[in-house]
Order: sequence, then C-alpha cells, then structure tokens
Amino acid sequence: MNGDPQIGFERWLAEPSAGAAPDWLESFRSGAREDVRARLLPHSKEEAWRYTSVKSLLEQGFAQSDETMTALQPDDLEEILVPGFETHRLVLVNGRYVPELSAPGDWPEGVRVGGLRALLESDPDALRERINATVDEPQPFFSALNTAGLDDGLVVLLGPGAIVERPIELIHLSVGLDEPRVAQPRHIVRLDAAAQATLVERYVSLGNSVYCTNSVVEVSLGRDAILRHERVQMESPNAFHLTGLYLVQDENSHYMGVNIGLGARWARTDLNARFRGRHAECVLRGLYLAGDGQLLDYHLDVDHAVPDCRSQENFKGILHGKGRAVFDGRVLVAKDAQKTDAAMSNRNLMLSEQAEVDTKPRLEIKADDVKCSHGTTVGQIDPEMLFYLRSRGISEPLARRMVCLGFAGEIIETLGSEALREHISEQVGRRLEATSLS
Amino acid sequence: MLSVKGLRANVGDKEILRGLDLEVGPGEVHAIMGPNGSGKSTFAHVLSGRAGYGVTAGSAIFEGRDLFDLEPEERARLGLFLAFQYPVELPGVNNTYFLKAALNSIRKARGESELDAVSFLRLIKERLKILHLDDSLLKRAVNAGFSGGEKKRNEIFQMALLEPRLAILDETDSGLDIDALRVVADGVNALRGPERSMIVVTHYQRLLDYIEPDYVHVLAKGRIIRSGGKELALELEEKGYGWIDAEVEAA
Ligand SMILES: Nc1ncnc2c1ncn2[C@@H]1O[C@H](COP(=O)(O)OP(=O)(O)OP(=O)(O)O)[C@@H](O)[C@H]1O
Ligand SMILES: [Mg+2]
Repeated sequence: MNGDPQIGFERWLAEPSAGAAPDWLESFRSGAREDVRARLLPHSKEEAWRYTSVKSLLEQGFAQSDETMTALQPDDLEEILVPGFETHRLVLVNGRYVPELSAPGDWPEGVRVGGLRALLESDPDALRERINATVDEPQPFFSALNTAGLDDGLVVLLGPGAIVERPIELIHLSVGLDEPRVAQPRHIVRLDAAAQATLVERYVSLGNSVYCTNSVVEVSLGRDAILRHERVQMESPNAFHLTGLYLVQDENSHYMGVNIGLGARWARTDLNARFRGRHAECVLRGLYLAGDGQLLDYHLDVDHAVPDCRSQENFKGILHGKGRAVFDGRVLVAKDAQKTDAAMSNRNLMLSEQAEVDTKPRLEIKADDVKCSHGTTVGQIDPEMLFYLRSRGISEPLARRMVCLGFAGEIIETLGSEALREHISEQVGRRLEATSLS
Repeated sequence: MLSVKGLRANVGDKEILRGLDLEVGPGEVHAIMGPNGSGKSTFAHVLSGRAGYGVTAGSAIFEGRDLFDLEPEERARLGLFLAFQYPVELPGVNNTYFLKAALNSIRKARGESELDAVSFLRLIKERLKILHLDDSLLKRAVNAGFSGGEKKRNEIFQMALLEPRLAILDETDSGLDIDALRVVADGVNALRGPERSMIVVTHYQRLLDYIEPDYVHVLAKGRIIRSGGKELALELEEKGYGWIDAEVEAA
C-alpha cells in the first residue's frame, strides 16, 4: 500500500455483484477498469486538480460497497425527510436502490423512474443508448472508476411531452458500515422532446461515519425539454463526496440547476454542460458553506459548442473557521457559437482569517459576436450592515447570521419548493450558529 | 435623559468633535443644524456606537448609563434609536424577519415577552399605516432597492415600531418630496410624548415648521456654538452660516 498509490483505488474496482449483465455493459466496465489501472492518479500538475489533493481520500482505503442495507425501516427515514416536501420519493442506501424505503407514487404515461439495476435486469435495451452517452472518452478518473463499478443508481426517463408535476426526490442515504465503503451510483436522466420535470437529489447520512460517495449523473435534454435540477450535498462531516454531472442539451431546452454544498469533509463536484442545439439555456447556481476541516471543490465546464445559447453560472460561498473552497469555472465558446450569452459569477464571504478560497473563472472565447462576462469577489461581512442591524438592538452574532443568510438567500430563493427553501435556510442558519459559538 | 459633556472624537488622526456639550431632557425635541461636514452625523454615530471613531474625551450619559461602555445593540435596547442619514441596504434580509428580531430583542431587554406572530403582524400593519407605507414592503429585503424617500420613511416606521426613548433623526427630511415630508413629520409628531425625546438633525427650516423643536442648536467645527429657541432656525435660514467663522474665532 505504501509504494503504489494506485492500489488505494484497487478495491473500488471489485467486480460488481449483480447477476448476468448485458455484454455491452460488461465491456464498459472492463474497459474502464483497464483504463483506470493504466492511468496516473489525479495530481496537482493537472489543471483540474491544482488545488485539491486526493491523498486524504486514498488514505481511507475505501472498498466498493456491495451489500444492500435491508435492516432500515421506513421510520428510520423520519429524521432526514424534509417536512412538507411532497415528492415522488426514491431512496438509495449506500448506492443501492431500496424499493421498500421508497414512495414513488404514480407516474403519468410515458414516464419510467426506478432503480438502475432493476431496469438492467428487466429491460437493458432501454439503457443501452443512455449509459455513458453524455461522458466523453477518456472519462475523467473518478467517472471511469464509477463506470468500472457501474451497478445501480436512479433512472429517470420521460417520453416526449411527458410532464411530472411533483418533484422527483432522490434520497441518497449513507449508513456507516464496519469498514469504510465507497458507493458509486450512476444516475441516468433523460427527458425527451418537450418533457418537463423537477429532480431533487439529496445526499444525506445517518450518523457521522466515514464513507465515500462517488456519483455520476448523466442528464440529457431533448428539444424543448425543461428540467429543474436541485442537488443538496449534506453528507456526514467525515464523508468524502464526488459528483460528476454530465449534461447535454438539445435545441431550446432549459436546465436550471442549483447545487447546495453543506456537508462532507472533502467534496469534489464537476459540472459539465454541453449545448448540442441552438437557443438552449443552462443555469448553474450554487451555494457552499465550508468550515473547519472541510474542503468543497467545484469545477464547472460549460461548452457553448453551438450558436445562440445562453448560460449563467452563479455560485456563492460562505467560508468560516479553517474552511476551504475552490471554484474553477470554465466557459468555452466555440468559433461558430455566435450570439452566445454567458455570465459567470462567484462571490465569497469570508468569516474568518483562516478560511481560504481559490476562485478562478475562465472564459475561453473563440467567437466574435458574443456577450460574455465574469466576476468574482472575496470579501468580508460589510461592517455597515452589521452596525445597522445592531443599532436596532440585534445582537452581533445574530446580525452576522442574518447578513450571511441574506447573502445565501439569493441562491436559496431559487429553489422551487418553499419546504426545501426553508429546510436549507434552517440548515445554513444552524451551521452558522454553531460557528459563532466557537 | 441624555447628558453629553466635553465630547471629543476622532476619525483617524482627524478630530471631528471638539468639546461638544448637549443636555436633552425627557420629552424635549432638539434640532441640530450646521454646515456640511461640521460633525452632525459623526455625533449621531458616536452616540449610537458605530465603530471607527475614537472618543478621546468627555462623556455621554443616557438613562443613567455611560453610553461608551455599551455595545451598539445594548444602547438600542436602552432606548436609543438612530434614523440613518443613509440607511443601509441589506440584500436578502427579509424585512419582516428583521423587524421581528429587532422588536423582540428590545422587548426582551425591557422585560417584556416576545410578541406572537398575530400580534406582531397587527402591530406592524398599524404602524405601516401611520407612515403610509405599503404592506408589500414587508416581503422585501431591508432597504434593498428602496427609493430614497422609501428608505427614509422606513427609518421612521422602524422608530414607530421600536418606540425608543431617544431618537436621533439624521437628515430624515433630505430627499423627501413635500407630501412625504408631511407624512414623516406626522409620524414623528404622533410619537412625541413626555417620555420620548428627539434630536432632529436638519438643514432646513421647513421640517421644523412641522416638527416644532423646543431648542435649536448650531453645530460648527465639532462644537455647539449657539443654542436658542425655534426662532434661531429662522435666523439661520435668513443669514446662512457665513457669520460662523467669526463666532468660532471669538469663542
Ligand atoms: N470615516 C471617515 N473618514 C474620514 N473622514 C470622515 C469620516 N467620517 C466623517 N469624516 C469627516 O468628518 C467630518 C464631519 O462629517 P459628518 O458626516 O459628521 O458631517 P455632517 O455635519 O453630518 O455633514 P452633512 O451635513 O454633509 O451630513 C467631515 O469632514 C467628514 O469628511
Ligand atoms: Mg450628516
């Protein structure tokens, strides 16, 4: 284990335990396994890994999780449900879909939602054109690891014109096992032409155990499709979290994404968006809150490959204690992607002198008739605001919290459901409250 | 109620207040006038505890307490209120939530119970009406995107809600149209009472037609150089501040 760091990931590559998989999937897996073994580990000389080391992740010696937690009862979910949040609920435990804990409810015609493994068994052809359809080769290191272990996850397939009104809620629950495990779910989301849905992914845990989630989310939107995609990372404070999101958009489709990052000790989120048809719109918003012992690392890669598309990237961060964050946002505008409209912004509020953020927006523009802008700020709480609040009798800690929540509010407000907005505000407030006491 | 003696205060190495004396009794309304840059806002800020000023001499006793021993929020809880010359915008901070937090912290300090949601809303709506402000204000972020006049009215609305013992109004009239001026003045007058005192900072006699002061002071170069009744304001309106240099030299 000392000499060859690659060995640290060898146990992520254990053979998936599912029964007979279709040949095409087996070849994806074995191809990815070989690929990963031949590859160097992500290291700091790679642009994408300049600020973040995988060393602490390696040291945990995570092993592929291969058992379904069946001991959980629906009552055990009580503490992680969001009060008043009415959804089609699908629950994964340690990366495995658990129908007994899920409450999917009824679906309109043309909609298929469920566990990936189950669908692989019943109708593998429905997935053949979908798996690995949005991820370019060679896959990034952790996505390749995910492919090598590809076995379960959530599938959301909407046929042409299908509309799901209630949010589809994916709860990815992690429960501590005897040894540190990695779960590698693959979520497949496809909206055919003019379909509409809201997908909310929530990564949560019972207890403060050490584990790793390495998820890959593939989203493809057909013509005129509309997806609201909200992701809440609230892993255990000792957890490691990776997300590779791959989004492909056809003509006139709309994607509204919100990424909330509150949990995990080490989290890495890669959001990749690519326009394939004109007049499409992609909004990526984010809010992260990092304190002592936390590193939250975001990489955005938005590819304006065709003309007339709009993208907006707006991430805000609050850092306290010795918290660290990275925002690396890249927007690429291809030579003939005229009339592109892209606006990127990353603003950070630093609550302590030990907190750290590396922010790096990059616009790479090869077209000449475009509207592109970017801006980043790293600042402290405005003392004028604090004084104003305190002059009204409000204590300093509460005043600080109010200003922070106001700052975060711009992103929280964009969540589609009042219940979820309240839940997130409360979680952010609670974390800020804990910091002002220390 | 408020007794300020020999107050000197710096911003950086620059002395702004240079031996300021002022006595305000219960129920009195004092107007402070004076040229731009004479230290009126500085005086208001030093009293309410804004950071960045160094008090080098003198004292300010309010309700028996030395203000300079207290944090800004403690001063507010004692009953001091500042209507800002430039109210601060608080993006994302909901007005209702803000008002509730402020009112409850002040009520708690007075030994009163926190208001429940229903009585709070009733109270708020009643006070909004006095200032002719719209309910929709409650859903917005504090001062964010408010017009100049709305910000000023919002300050007086907060005063009406928090019911301070001493309110300092720093140029609340500037930027108000004539109707708004009247509304604000009515609001202020409605709050006048034997137990509530006010310091009204203004450049214009007009406001003092509506809010009749008991005393008028002229603040120049960091000191009160003249005090009188409301006729002093008329005199200032007529003569301007040109005579001040001579006066300050003589003092
Ligand atoms: N933070 C600061 N830094 C430097 N100088 C300051 C600061 N605050 C106030 N001053 C200076 O102190 C002096 C008094 O300012 P103050 O705002 O108290 O005047 P004022 O009487 O309220 O004027 P106005 O009628 O224009 O509102 C001015 O010369 C101003 O430039
Ligand atoms: Mg002033």
